[in-house]
Amino acid sequence: MKKIITLKVNNKEYEVAVAPNRTLTQVLREDLNLPGTKCGCDMGDCGACTVILDDRPVNSCLVLAVQAHNREITTIEGVADGPNLHPIQQAFVEHGAVQCGFCTPGMVLSAKSLLEKNMDPTEHEIREALSGNLCRCTGYQKIVEAVKSASQTMKK
Amino acid sequence: MHLLPKFDFYEPDSMAEACKVLAETKTEGKIIAGGTDIMVNMKKGLLSPKYLVSLAKIPGVSSIEPITGGIVIGPNLIVAKLIEFDLMRKKFNLLSKAASVLGSPLIRNRATIGGNIVTARPAADLPPPLMAMGARVVLMRKGKERELPLDDFFVGPGQTKIKPTEILVKIIVDDPPPFTGWDYVKLMHRNALEIAIVAVAVRITLDSPDGIIKDARVILSAVAAKAIHAVSAEKILIGEKPTAKLFARAASLASTDCTPITDIRGGAEYRCAMVETLTNRALSAALLQIKSK
Repeated sequence: MKKIITLKVNNKEYEVAVAPNRTLTQVLREDLNLPGTKCGCDMGDCGACTVILDDRPVNSCLVLAVQAHNREITTIEGVADGPNLHPIQQAFVEHGAVQCGFCTPGMVLSAKSLLEKNMDPTEHEIREALSGNLCRCTGYQKIVEAVKSASQTMKK
Repeated sequence: MHLLPKFDFYEPDSMAEACKVLAETKTEGKIIAGGTDIMVNMKKGLLSPKYLVSLAKIPGVSSIEPITGGIVIGPNLIVAKLIEFDLMRKKFNLLSKAASVLGSPLIRNRATIGGNIVTARPAADLPPPLMAMGARVVLMRKGKERELPLDDFFVGPGQTKIKPTEILVKIIVDDPPPFTGWDYVKLMHRNALEIAIVAVAVRITLDSPDGIIKDARVILSAVAAKAIHAVSAEKILIGEKPTAKLFARAASLASTDCTPITDIRGGAEYRCAMVETLTNRALSAALLQIKSK
């Protein structure tokens, strides 16, 4: 039986009727037309589906949409300020941290969540915070450098 | 994309109501906490419960409450909070350490302590430290509670003493006695999102700062059908003065207490050898902790 739920995504409220067996990834992509959240392994291993749920980054493929009722969600679509990229996004572009791009939304959201709690993370802390997000292109180095650089920009 | 099988979803707002709902589903209902295990199994087609009952709306199930002589942990508490809470990091840092190597940060933000216990995976990260700390679990059915030591809770892979309509409602951990040291060592192929090849949790309590070992617990993980006590190692430790020689003997005995299998993560012989190495390291670290207090 479908349930009517309210999702607060990127500061906008959506009322949707969802079957309980649909994941947050599915509802974001298919019902709310927010395909920035990627569906990779769909098993909680790769982190491509990362969203921020009430201040914590989570695998949205392992969240039932009904469990997100009335909760605040940030997806990659809510990170930039209109046409202006977020400093983390800008740093990813400048450091060549985006190659195929599939892991990028998850990486940016995990990084954003880290920098909101820790404005000046060490390399180890950055690697730890991104350890649930897999990237098969970059070898991670450029991503780590981008996050470090973004942290410096954001401090100014 | 993997589709989840169909089910009905319930979110009761009291434990009594949750018990009632679960009882009404007979054996076709399952509790969903963080969902990081059950949803994966449902996507793989290994499980297809007709009803999922979430505990998330029940007051108190996601908190840590200090009581006289210990703490009560709610089953729905996420693993990340075991690392973040000051009380945990200061007084129960064995559990924080094990929590910090469970899954990934993303998983730790969803996975719960109750889920990590009830799913009863032989390599789960939280049962070994909890057993080393002598934790007890409280189970509820039809509004009636029963308490049992975590030592008696596990039966085998995925199997526990919990009945299909029973709910894990509390985890009770006592304060560590004075002169107690502990450690959790997990051997992994990589540093995140990894299941232990072997893990060891130890706890030793001395009778005085330079005294003899009054109590010793050595828990081995991923080397038997469930987390087990290295009984012969514990036996020779108790009543003795802690020395490197004693720890080496205990570690060697611990490797005879386990019955590992050979699988993709490691061979049985390798695992036994690693039990010895890790036990020795963990015992030394535990002693160092007592000495540095």
